[in-house]
Order: sequence, then structure tokens, then C-alpha cells
Amino acid sequence: MSGELRLTGLTRVHGRGRPPALDGLDLAVPAGSCVAVLGPSGSGKSTVLRLTAGLDEPTRGSVHLDGRDLAGVPPERRGVAMVFQRPLLFPHLSARDNVAYADRVRGAPRRRARARAAEFLDLVGLAGLGDRAPRELSSGQEQRVALARALAAEPRVLLLDEPFSALDAPLREEMHELLVDLRARLAPTVLLVTHDPAEAAALADTVAVLEAGRLQQHGPVAELHARPASLSVSRLLGGRTEVPGQVRAGVHHSPLGALALPGPVADGPGVLVVRPEAVALAAGHADVTGTVVRVRYRGLRPLVTVDAGGVAVHAELTPGDDVVAGAVVGLRLPVAARHVVPVRPG
Amino acid sequence: MSGPPGARGRRTGLLLVLPALVPVVAVVGAALTSALLAALGLAPLVGEPRLTGAAFTAPADQLASAVPLSLAIAAAATAAAAAVGLALALAAVATARRSRLLGALSAATVPVPHLVGAAAMGLLLADAGFLPRLLGVAPEDWPALVGGRWWVAVVAEYAWKESAFVALVVGGVLASRSRSYGETAAVLGAGRWARFRTVTLPLAAPALGAASAISFVYVLGSYEVAALLGRAAPEPLPVLAVRLSTSIDLAARPQGAAVAVVTAGLALLAVVLALRALRRLAAWG
Repeated sequence: MSGELRLTGLTRVHGRGRPPALDGLDLAVPAGSCVAVLGPSGSGKSTVLRLTAGLDEPTRGSVHLDGRDLAGVPPERRGVAMVFQRPLLFPHLSARDNVAYADRVRGAPRRRARARAAEFLDLVGLAGLGDRAPRELSSGQEQRVALARALAAEPRVLLLDEPFSALDAPLREEMHELLVDLRARLAPTVLLVTHDPAEAAALADTVAVLEAGRLQQHGPVAELHARPASLSVSRLLGGRTEVPGQVRAGVHHSPLGALALPGPVADGPGVLVVRPEAVALAAGHADVTGTVVRVRYRGLRPLVTVDAGGVAVHAELTPGDDVVAGAVVGLRLPVAARHVVPVRPG
Repeated sequence: MSGPPGARGRRTGLLLVLPALVPVVAVVGAALTSALLAALGLAPLVGEPRLTGAAFTAPADQLASAVPLSLAIAAAATAAAAAVGLALALAAVATARRSRLLGALSAATVPVPHLVGAAAMGLLLADAGFLPRLLGVAPEDWPALVGGRWWVAVVAEYAWKESAFVALVVGGVLASRSRSYGETAAVLGAGRWARFRTVTLPLAAPALGAASAISFVYVLGSYEVAALLGRAAPEPLPVLAVRLSTSIDLAARPQGAAVAVVTAGLALLAVVLALRALRRLAAWG
């Protein structure tokens, strides 16, 4: 059920004179792995899936599945299945017949297709709901049926196009758990598209960040968090502190002062980025001292903005770290969490 | 205090359709009531009102041939219109992004009156018409399409006109839904024909059924095309009703009303059957 997907130089221009929706994407999805394509809306991430599924033709580039070039192969013969943002269950079929659809169009007898469909419904936790019409299901159940239907097609690659973004937060969590569970049991190759970094982190082995149709960075999510290749990657993953300055001999000089860097960095201008969750209140020695200008809360965690010499430093503190606006605080920026993004010309 | 939301919603819905409902019920109700009264002898042009079923029994022979003929014409025209309309809708949806010409062409047929359509069809299909001349066929060798045994011109005119209506209704439904469901089916392994059979056709079915039912009832009760392009005997129901209702024999006029009542009854039956079938389809639509 798992194949190896390789996208090479994949480009799609929707109309003459328009900028490419996708520009020379190279991406490998090893068999049995889950790669998330992360990007803001309009970044071309859904285009990646449509080109992979064969729903659109690439302007340039190729899609290889298990080494076979899929150019000119229609969607129904590609061995991929796709779950869309909307469940798109066929309204005239029951939940069971929706899941049995792929088997039926391949000519399997109704009885066998329905028996297999019941197994897949069981797999997504919907045993006993097979007789229901799609309109009798909740939105979470509908998306589970859509997932079961795609899995029942036994694709070599499962394409997920923001399949959980229309669900509310608890349901989304539930679906994430389900997908993790399904990955452990079936080991499908998954290419997931999402605009939610938390979803990418929860589900994917590696994350490919896409912006304006171009691949910005591809790697494990921890690497993307710790060492973003650009400010846009840092911002997309929730990084907020950006301190312009100069790097000299492995030290970043800025209005925050001289801050030593963890590894070798080329001398020259560079923007220091530090993840908000890495920043902590300093008990003793402080790397940075400033005035709290804003306090918000995410659950119990205070999200604090500190003005340090005209530079905003953002920190996600631990519950119980009660600070108030106007207070002067010292912050620790752990050396390992400091990362410098080169300044791009232009 | 307000009532339960369901009841309130129904009441609001009823109030909203009332302006459309009142004139329809008034006109159709008045027409049907007067036809029924006339047919039952309760509203005679001369003499005393007397309840009788004579107007229904007197033209029994003519009714016996008119009912199957009218049903056959309506069924044939509707089947052709449904097939052509569906094909037009599919073509329009498939090419919607490239060209609106097809949609415009099929929609252009809708405002053409049936009378004009009938006249055009007569000029086209008659034995001395445009088509045999174009094809170089002598009038005596040309089949009797106008006024012939098989009512070809009548069925063709209705099918031509109603197919545009079917295409418009079905195209509207398919335009909003067929692409996303079609793509879903494709990535699940359904080829072109399987997609048409298992997705497009079921999606179009409620709209196709409703448009076909309207078309069937319309053709069943429509007069002018059958009168212009049909043969003198046997007559379909509307032609028979009009001839009897305008007869110089005043005693025949209640029979015209009786034929009209029978036609209305058949139309009503068709509507009830269609609604029952559509309710099953619309349950998922």
C-alpha cells in the first residue's frame, strides 16, 4: 500500500503572463513516510497534490511513483487516492457504499466490496454506521468516511488536501490521533498539505515549506523550528523575534548586545531569530533586559512581548510566570536556541 | 412567545410563497372547477342544471384513442428531450471554462414560442419543406413527418424546445457539483464511463427527473403544436378538447370540458407519480 513518490522540477503556470503557481518543486516522499507541504494560502501547496493526482497537467517537471513516470497517466490509473478539505461523500450512496466505491468501480462483487468497506469503517471507528446516508453523519464522521474511502482504494500514495481544516479543534485532534494510528497499522505513504504548523508537526516525518510556489526548506520539523532557512519559514512556524544585526567571529551584534552563536556563521549582516518557547525569565544572569509591553495568554501560558532597546523580543513563558505590562524583566535566550538567518539581497 | 423553530420556519416559508401560490390556485382552481361543473352538466349553456356523467361517456371512443396517443407523444418527446438535454448539459459543463457559446445556444431556444417553433418545424420537415429540398428528395419520396402516422414533427418540436429547458435545469445543478465529485471519483479509480454512470448521472437525476416531469405534463396538455403539425385523426387530448369545446353543436361543449378534466386528471397523476419518485431521489440531493 506504500509507494515511493518523487517530484522533480514540478512547475505549473495557470495562465500566460501569470506567475507560476508552483515553480520547480523537487520533493521526495519515501515509501511509508508522511511528508507535509506547509504554506500560507496561495502558496501552491494544493497544486502539488493536484499535479501528483493527475487532476492538472504540469507545465514542466515530472511525477514518479516507484520509479515510473506518471506523465499522461489519468488520475484513475495512478494508484493515488486523495482526501479533500470537504468530505465530498457521494450523496446518493450510503457510508458503506461510499467506502466500497473504489472496489465497485474496479469490478469487485457488491458483497465482497461491502465486506471490505465494513472493515475500513471499523478501522476509522465507524463500525455500525455503514447504513447511514452522508447527510445523517456529523462533519467529523463524514471526514472519517472520506478517509476510509481513500484507504479502501489501497493507494500507493495517499494525498491529503487540508482534510481536517474544516473541523473544530477537538475533532481535529481526534482525526490527528486516528491518522497517527492508521500510519502505525497500515504504513501508507502520505503527502499532506496544510497551512497549520501544529498539524504538520503532529503528523509528518518531514515538512516542506512552500511560499509563492517555491520550496523554501524541507526537513524534520525540529530542524525547521531550530534552524529556519529564511525569515518567512521562521514566521510560518510561529517564530516572532527578529533582530537585525551583524555577525562577527561567531557573535551577533545588535541593539540587544553581543550574543554568542552556537555554531559557525559567516560574518556579515544577519537576522537573529529565537523561538518564543525557548525564551525564559532569567533567574540570575539575563541575556537581555527590557520592559514588558504586552501580555496575552495561550491557555495558561503567558505570551509576553518585551521591548529591549527598541527591539521586540517575544517569549512564551511557563504557567505561573506572572508578569505585568510595564514591569522590567530579564530574559534568557539559550545559546542553542539562537539562529541567524542571512539577509537576502533585495 | 414564538412557536417551535420548525413550525415557525414552515409558516415563514408558506408566507413567502403565498404571493405566487394565490394567483396560481385561484386561476387553476377556477378553471378546473368551471370545467368540472360544465362536464358534469351543472353549468349548461342552455336548459336546467342536471348532474350527469354523459359528457364523459359520449366521447368514450375518441377518449380511448386520444389518451394513449397523448401519453405516447408526451413520453416520446420527454424521453428525447431528457436525452438531448442531458447531453447538452454535460457538454456545456465540460466546456464551461473554454466556451460559453454552447450554453448560450441551448438557452436561446427557451424564449422561442412553441407556435413559432411549430411553424419552423413544419417548414423544415414537410414534404415540400426546406430539408427535403436541401437533400434533393422529391416530395413523394419524403416520409410523412408532418401530419403523418408517427407524429414525428410534433414530437421533434416538443423535444427540441423542451431539451433546452432540461439542459438549463440540469446544467445548473451539474455546474456546481459535477467537477468536485467527478475528481473525487477519478482519484478513487473510476474511469470516464464509470464516473458518468456512478456519479454524474445520479447527481443529475433529481434535476433531470423534475425537468422531465414538467416537460411531460406540459406536452400532455399543450395544444398548438399538435394542432398545427399533427394529423386530423386520431386527435390527442388537447386538440379533441378544443374542438369539442368550440363545436357549433352546443351539446358537445360539455364533452370538451370532460376531455379537459380527463387531461388534467392524467397530468395530476403524472405529477403525483413524479413527485413520489423524486422524493426518493431528492432525499440525498
